[in-house]
Amino acid sequence: MSDAAFALTAFFMVAAALWAVTANNVLHAALGLIAAFFATAVLYLGLRAEFLAVAQVLVYIGGVVVFVVFTILLTSRLGDEILRPSLWRVLLGVLFAGAFFALGALMLSRAGDLLEGAGLAPEEYGSLMAVGNKLLGMGEGGLLLPFEVVSVLLLACVIGAIAVARKPEDDE
Amino acid sequence: MDYIQTTNFIGDWVRGLGLPWGLDRAVNGILGALTIAGVVMAGATLLVWVERKVSALIQSRLGPMRVGPWGILQSVADILKLLVKEILVPNGADRLVYFLAPMLPLTAAFMVLAVIPFGPTLQVANPDLGVPYLIAMGGIGVLGILIGGWASNNKFSLLGSLRSGAQMVSYEISVAVILLFITLVSGTTDLRTLVLTQQGTVLDWWVFKVPGLGLAAFVLYLISSTAELNRAPFDIAEAEQEIAAGYHTEYSGMGFAMFFLAEYGNLIASAGVAATCFLGGFLPPAIGVPAVDRALFAVPGLVWFALKVAALILGYMWFRWTFPRPRVDQLMALEWKFLLPVNLGLLSLGALFTAMGWVLP
Repeated sequence: MSDAAFALTAFFMVAAALWAVTANNVLHAALGLIAAFFATAVLYLGLRAEFLAVAQVLVYIGGVVVFVVFTILLTSRLGDEILRPSLWRVLLGVLFAGAFFALGALMLSRAGDLLEGAGLAPEEYGSLMAVGNKLLGMGEGGLLLPFEVVSVLLLACVIGAIAVARKPEDDE
Repeated sequence: MDYIQTTNFIGDWVRGLGLPWGLDRAVNGILGALTIAGVVMAGATLLVWVERKVSALIQSRLGPMRVGPWGILQSVADILKLLVKEILVPNGADRLVYFLAPMLPLTAAFMVLAVIPFGPTLQVANPDLGVPYLIAMGGIGVLGILIGGWASNNKFSLLGSLRSGAQMVSYEISVAVILLFITLVSGTTDLRTLVLTQQGTVLDWWVFKVPGLGLAAFVLYLISSTAELNRAPFDIAEAEQEIAAGYHTEYSGMGFAMFFLAEYGNLIASAGVAATCFLGGFLPPAIGVPAVDRALFAVPGLVWFALKVAALILGYMWFRWTFPRPRVDQLMALEWKFLLPVNLGLLSLGALFTAMGWVLP
């Protein structure tokens, strides 16, 4: 990815993210989020992480945002009134965002030497084959055990959701 | 079996021009994108007419007869009408979202068609991650329908888009599981290689190659994709007798035309995916007799692909006009209580068959 392409994508991404947090309309905020996620996928493609890019679109746009939009559709419309957060909340938000930004900047400045020599990932590094072998590998660096633990956690979530949503037997 | 053509007339000619700065790749890309746009426009126009004729024949009617011979220009006339029709925006609609929504399903259809191999050398792009890419694009179409219904500021539209969102999200899972099954048995996610794994005779197509399972997966794919396309008998999203026209009730003129175009574009894309994954894509139905096979391979791959897609689309239309419609709850129960468990079982069996080598040679 050339510097110009990176700058363009990053600018688009930051603009979309800003739109997502400043839009008065919740659905517009969701659209901003979609645009930001898409730009992230483009950045991943630029880093030769093809699988990550497809997973980003699949999970975040096709999954998370679709359910966010679903939730917005199910809530009654707020009308045209603009919700103004209280000053206290704005200050708290700025404080936390600033702290997070500072943390990131600190980490990047410390890691300067590491980033110096970093280039593109080698060919095939982010391909489906490589990711699959790493994720389901049992040997050195294989992530099979964490993968299985996460699967059990997700299974527990699904069963929990069914238990919560289930109608009582005598309700039929 | 080395009859497969490896030259692309226009593509090679552009590459041979010696354009600077990789301009030839840009030119070929643009030509490919324009071709896809042409395929969708012309295909949708033709399919609207075919659908009306098929429905008429099934119901012992004549269908459109007045415009052109056998009414073949009927949909051209309809499209001209849609082009000049006034675009009405309902009161209180969210204009930005209202105009953005019809574009998303059409974009999704184009994005899917861009990776379908129409012929041995006819494919706009061939990503290594073809199958995950197909699954990822499905989500974008759903978004358009969801936000379109919301932006219309109409209760019928909102109900329609909620129903359709629930339906498409659910059936997408089934389609994804079946595509995973194909990835599992073929060992590739790259769609062109996926077609090339089916070289040989008709028995090497994935629908027959995995005994029994392939056919089951094919039938399940047809059911799930009919539902994902929001087509009758699963047209819960529109359900004319219940919620007017669902998510596109408030759309007129080109807004409606784009939703309509997307519906048929997605139909072509879905049939194309089925032909690629199960029916050998651009490969001819070879039977193993050298003399016959040579003649079959002499026909361009595009023709075979088009014939398969046309047959599949006629099948989709046949379902539409033959089966009664399930209710909303029956539709969701069908997916979550029947299709999804069956598909997961199919995936497990596919893993077993692949591990044990119970695949036809």
